[in-house]
Amino acid sequence: MEYEFHWNIVFQKMPQLLNGAFVTLHVSVLSMLIGIAIAVLLAIAKMSDYKLFSLPATLWVEIARNTPALFQIYMAYFGLGAFGIHLSPYVAVLSALVFVNAGYLTETFRGGFMSIPRTQYSASRSLGMNSVQVYRYIILPQMFRRIYHPMTNQFVWSILMSSLGILVGMDELSGETQRLQSLSFRTLEFFMVAAVMYFLITKLVLFSASLVSQKLFKGDL
Amino acid sequence: MKLTKKIFLCAATIAAVTVFSATQADQLDTVIKRGVLNCGVVLDFPPMGYFDKENKPAGFDVDYCNDLAGALGVKAEILNLTWGDRIPSLVSGKTDVVVGSTSDTLERAKSVGFSYPYFVFKFQVFSKKGTGINTFDDLKKFKVGAALGTTYETEYLAYAKKHGWGTDNYTSFKSENDAYLGLFQGKVDAIISTNTNIATKLQTQEFKDYVAGPFVPDYDDVVGLIAKRSEVAWIDYLNLFLIHQIRDGKMNERYNKHFGSEVPADLIKTLRDNK
Repeated sequence: MEYEFHWNIVFQKMPQLLNGAFVTLHVSVLSMLIGIAIAVLLAIAKMSDYKLFSLPATLWVEIARNTPALFQIYMAYFGLGAFGIHLSPYVAVLSALVFVNAGYLTETFRGGFMSIPRTQYSASRSLGMNSVQVYRYIILPQMFRRIYHPMTNQFVWSILMSSLGILVGMDELSGETQRLQSLSFRTLEFFMVAAVMYFLITKLVLFSASLVSQKLFKGDL
Repeated sequence: MKLTKKIFLCAATIAAVTVFSATQADQLDTVIKRGVLNCGVVLDFPPMGYFDKENKPAGFDVDYCNDLAGALGVKAEILNLTWGDRIPSLVSGKTDVVVGSTSDTLERAKSVGFSYPYFVFKFQVFSKKGTGINTFDDLKKFKVGAALGTTYETEYLAYAKKHGWGTDNYTSFKSENDAYLGLFQGKVDAIISTNTNIATKLQTQEFKDYVAGPFVPDYDDVVGLIAKRSEVAWIDYLNLFLIHQIRDGKMNERYNKHFGSEVPADLIKTLRDNK
């Protein structure tokens, strides 16, 4: 391949790329945090004996896990748009990512919950704790410790999937890369630098997550 | 012994020269030998490139691919590209030439080889009737969109920056079709596109309540064919081909077919001036 790399144009545009990287980091971390909160509730709802709770949770999980994220983002932006509901690109991507993260994490969390013996629940209740206290002090801390590693997989996915934001014109790292390469046609250079940035963002998030986990779980993973 | 050595050396030299000259074959030779011209076209940009009722590639650019293949005596293979795919398709060797309305900026010419211009566009505002966009400066008050990575996006953003409008009102769309969909759904009040694409859309039922507005001030979008920058002989051939399209009346024929009128004299003049 006789291709001459021109790197200086990429370095000139670094501030814009870093802006895009920041939006990527922002949207994926936020979608994870909201997704985790929703997934805890969905997992509990899904295990419920009452159909009123378990059915909607099952429906959410089934749709989120069995349709492409690309389609979900498109639906959030143009699909809702057809009904006159206009989300900004950022909100459309954020809500689609929350939807898919919550769907996947629900199954992970459910597995975590199931692995904790039911007898612990009964024992805690017999000590006079109410349901909320049982989950808060007994079940959730153990559950999060067990599902920590599968959960970080979803972190990585969340970051990489945010690149689909390019579909709806969100100015995240992929969109910004696409725009900048179209000015100079230095496609390979820009894409390579963007790939390195995705790698670094992922590593950064995983590193932060491991710091948080060490604090929370006292290093006992 | 000595003689065998000499013969061996001779044979080796001939072999080396053959191999060497084989690698010298340029893009023009390659295409002719292959018998197929891989021609990239952006097929969501009517009337330059689109899918017709039978879902086959059609349009001004597609006709140019076929004309070029005809001149070379080979078969044309049309590859559908997005705006962003144009350069990767050349670099990776998937296309020999991209007939894709590529604006010939000096920045891009550092990366890719441009032919002489083959078309000139005007960038125009497109919005619903009664939106109240009479001059380009009126856009300041409205939500504006355009397709990502196009020259009209760049031009709008540069204009907005120069006049201190900021970019909060701007939305970019992944493709030309999505930009029109966004306008149709009311995500933006106006989009910027080319006069040719707008004229096509105005003939459709969906956009009968819409109107073509002001042009981007002082801007001619001069576009060329693109090929690998190193393939100078190939680009020479493309240049001569484009001259012949005008000289032999093919351009007029194609223009008539897709725009319904004789090719305007000022378009030909701009093409010649920009050569």
